[in-house]
Amino acid sequence: MAVDSSQFPYYSFNESANFQAENKRIIIAPNDSLFLMIINTDSITHGFNIKNYVGVNRTILAGDTAYVSCSFSVSGMHIYYDSYNYPNNRYMGLSGMIVVENSTASKFFWNIKEHQKLWNKFISTGTAVTWQNYYPDYFTINGKSNPHINSDTTARVIGKLGDTIRIYIANTGQSVHSLHFHGYHSSIIYSSKHPIHVGRLKDTFSVYRMESLILELIPDQKGEYPVHDHNLVAVSGGHIYPNGMFLTILIQ
Amino acid sequence: MRKIVIFFLLILLELHSVAQIDQSILLIARNSGTKQLADSSNIRIFGFANSLSSQPNVPGPTLTMNEGDSIKIHLWNVSQGAPHTIHLHGLDVDQQNDGVPHLSFDVAHQDHGFYYFKAPHAGTYLYHCHVASTVHVQAGMYGLIIVKPPDGSNTTWSGGYSFDTELSLFMSEIDTTWHTDSVLLHPHDTSMTVHIVSIPDYNPQFFLVNGYSDQQIIENQIELNTDQNKISYLRLANIGYYGNRVIIPSQLNARIVSSDGRPLPQLEYSDTIYVYPGERYGVIVDPQSDFSDSIRIEYLNMNNLLVKGVEKVAVNVGVVGLPDFENKHITIQVFPNPFKDRLYIKMIINKSSKVQINIKDVNGKLVQQVAEKKYTPGEYKLSIENNALIKGTYFITVFTNKKELIIKKIIKQ
Repeated sequence: MAVDSSQFPYYSFNESANFQAENKRIIIAPNDSLFLMIINTDSITHGFNIKNYVGVNRTILAGDTAYVSCSFSVSGMHIYYDSYNYPNNRYMGLSGMIVVENSTASKFFWNIKEHQKLWNKFISTGTAVTWQNYYPDYFTINGKSNPHINSDTTARVIGKLGDTIRIYIANTGQSVHSLHFHGYHSSIIYSSKHPIHVGRLKDTFSVYRMESLILELIPDQKGEYPVHDHNLVAVSGGHIYPNGMFLTILIQ
Repeated sequence: MRKIVIFFLLILLELHSVAQIDQSILLIARNSGTKQLADSSNIRIFGFANSLSSQPNVPGPTLTMNEGDSIKIHLWNVSQGAPHTIHLHGLDVDQQNDGVPHLSFDVAHQDHGFYYFKAPHAGTYLYHCHVASTVHVQAGMYGLIIVKPPDGSNTTWSGGYSFDTELSLFMSEIDTTWHTDSVLLHPHDTSMTVHIVSIPDYNPQFFLVNGYSDQQIIENQIELNTDQNKISYLRLANIGYYGNRVIIPSQLNARIVSSDGRPLPQLEYSDTIYVYPGERYGVIVDPQSDFSDSIRIEYLNMNNLLVKGVEKVAVNVGVVGLPDFENKHITIQVFPNPFKDRLYIKMIINKSSKVQINIKDVNGKLVQQVAEKKYTPGEYKLSIENNALIKGTYFITVFTNKKELIIKKIIKQ
């Protein structure tokens, strides 16, 4: 979905046999029991795990099925991912969100990630990569980049003055991303990596690899304002600007 | 008759807007600046200047205002090529004044643009061009905005922490391969507000603090000079494309008190602060003893978190203002002491003098020398690398006016 229509090998956790670049987003309430059946339809071994959740790590052989039960007592967000051949399989796309909450706020979801096209080709053919040399050239939110990401109604924030808006962000890539909001400060209401950051009111948010972050935005002015990675290399795609991690918020 | 009525209305509107402006700021955008780097090479830059007679620098002028002030920024684009804008980063201005070309407006060559806003909560903010921003920011079109409390006092914000001194450390990087005409002078269609631009790989070679790196930081006296029990406010900001890990000497008792122009709900005691692109942090320090050391700033590749560059900012607590030698011609101060691999000599010359600086061991044997040079009246700061010296005691002597003066006993650690 980059502006240059570039395509590269990609893996994903989907709910059906039809491939989609966006992983299944799981939304449950606190204390719900979540039962997962993970079917490996690939020809290679995969794994399954949930970040910071003990006892659910699984190895799943080609064609095999694994079962996972879990429950979360408090609101938050968690990343499930392929733990096999780490981080390669997870980098190839196998990582998604488990959202735990029951608020009435408007909800939007950003699974942010970057890709080095050549790396995807290498990993998909079993060629070794050296992560120290990683230099991504595509940057996506929910598998899409600017301008296409603005058509994703689950990602593009549209709201009204005074709305309570929650944005669920998971960094399932390898790089750190630094998301800057124009027009508004938002408060951090959950951080899987830095709980001490909860309550901070900011306009720019660093999101580490495998970190999940929940922001609350209560817009106090109308308008259309960008949100983008302020590592400005990440607002390009295939070395072309503007592309990448850049979308807009529309408050009417 | 109808035309006359409209004329009077316009006059009234103009008088109204002029009356509300507390501060008017002129920023001239240019794309033909030159910047000298730490290796003495020169690169082409884009940037902002605040008068027609001055050349742009990197970063641009720091804009200081008081919370609640009504501000007008007059952007005058005097650069042939792509248009420019001012994005007021973190100030949460309305869409019209946000500086994103396709959502507000851009300013073409020889054109003027005006941005109006009310200075928000006291804190540290940024401004930068948002046209083809990946290129124009790296080109140098950025600066710092400091919003003081409504009374302009040395206080972090109204009801916040009072401080005696403040120091801004504004980090960025330069990849010289981007500072070539083939990258900077990207194509632009004057009928479009979105410009499709080709971006090279980013591999910076120079890591900047307030626009300087390496010895330039010392030469430009970017340093924290304070005394014990005095409170200083550090403003840390990052406009680069790398992350920063800022490591503050533990003797400074650093507390992070604000970020992105807002107080933290609870202060955080930490001598290590990560500042990622676009972020700002406010840090209170109050040393309890005299010492000399440095703030270490590491530049982290966002893709692998490897340290690609390191810069140091000197910290002198209680050693500034106490000269080691003083007569009517020359005042000399040597620091830090003890020292590790670098020694600084600050000289104030009152009368043109030839000065030669010697480092001698305890037996009087010359072990290192700064060659004799004539200095005209002014203030100088010399940096002496001492990597080759073994640990021990030495003496600094200065040969001037045909006399050799012993200035100070120094200890290499």
